[in-house]
Amino acid sequence: MNRHTRDLVEQALSAWRPRRRGAVGGHPAWHDLDADGRRLVFEETERLRAMEAALDPNGLSSTGHTVLARIRGR
Amino acid sequence: MCSRSGSRVPRVGVTSCWSCSLSPVDELQAIVAGDTAAFGRWVARAEPRLRASLRSFAAQVDTEAVVQETLLRVWNVAPRFEPDGGPDGLTRLAVRIARNLAVSELRRARVEPVEVDRLEREAEALAEPGTPPDPLLRELIAACVERLPGKPRVAILQRIHARGNASDASLAEAAGMKLNTFLQNVRRARIGLERCLEAGGAVWGDA
Repeated sequence: MNRHTRDLVEQALSAWRPRRRGAVGGHPAWHDLDADGRRLVFEETERLRAMEAALDPNGLSSTGHTVLARIRGR
Repeated sequence: MCSRSGSRVPRVGVTSCWSCSLSPVDELQAIVAGDTAAFGRWVARAEPRLRASLRSFAAQVDTEAVVQETLLRVWNVAPRFEPDGGPDGLTRLAVRIARNLAVSELRRARVEPVEVDRLEREAEALAEPGTPPDPLLRELIAACVERLPGKPRVAILQRIHARGNASDASLAEAAGMKLNTFLQNVRRARIGLERCLEAGGAVWGDA
């Protein structure tokens, strides 16, 4: 895997996602990855979110936090 | 999609308590009443199973976006949810919503109907209950984070503290790093953490 692909994977691992017409959109970096890169993002995201949840006092990953922030209007 | 958020006024008597232990029925009632802490507790339990149910779509759908959109939709439809008496009713609903969203994305991307059917069948087989996290994991992860070298630790903590609400470009700027340097440091931190956790005997997810 070259450095450019590694950077794309790393960006897609973030829970940040753009908003498109009021809905959650795909990450631009994810769209630039091939199928293997996308599968790697899935596998690594599972591990990363488990780690984030384990570190969080309320057991929430960054995915959970971003959703709660959204429904609380922050 | 979060139409329930802006106009939502907390009702009198609705508690917002992270450490409260509620029965499934009481928890659902709290969510319906607009208790975001109760919803957060449900999200913490449901997210791993929800994400795992989307594994077969991983090469063709951004599953992180689908998971987030699904959780927002569950929040919006919860007031109309009618339990069927089975366990984890709201989570099963979430898995169905997620699968439908993923299939819609496949159709939008003009994936062959035969392939859509195959992925959907695979997803059906994956929607099993998840396992609870190892209670000792938090302590081990915190110790591993502390052992990371300076810049990787700064970068991964920026990511974690941002909670998905800021792009990497803005996090890199806040950390005083170029974007590619920031991403390299996050990667170094992730790899360092995984090695440290493996050395500590941590078991991940479905591993």
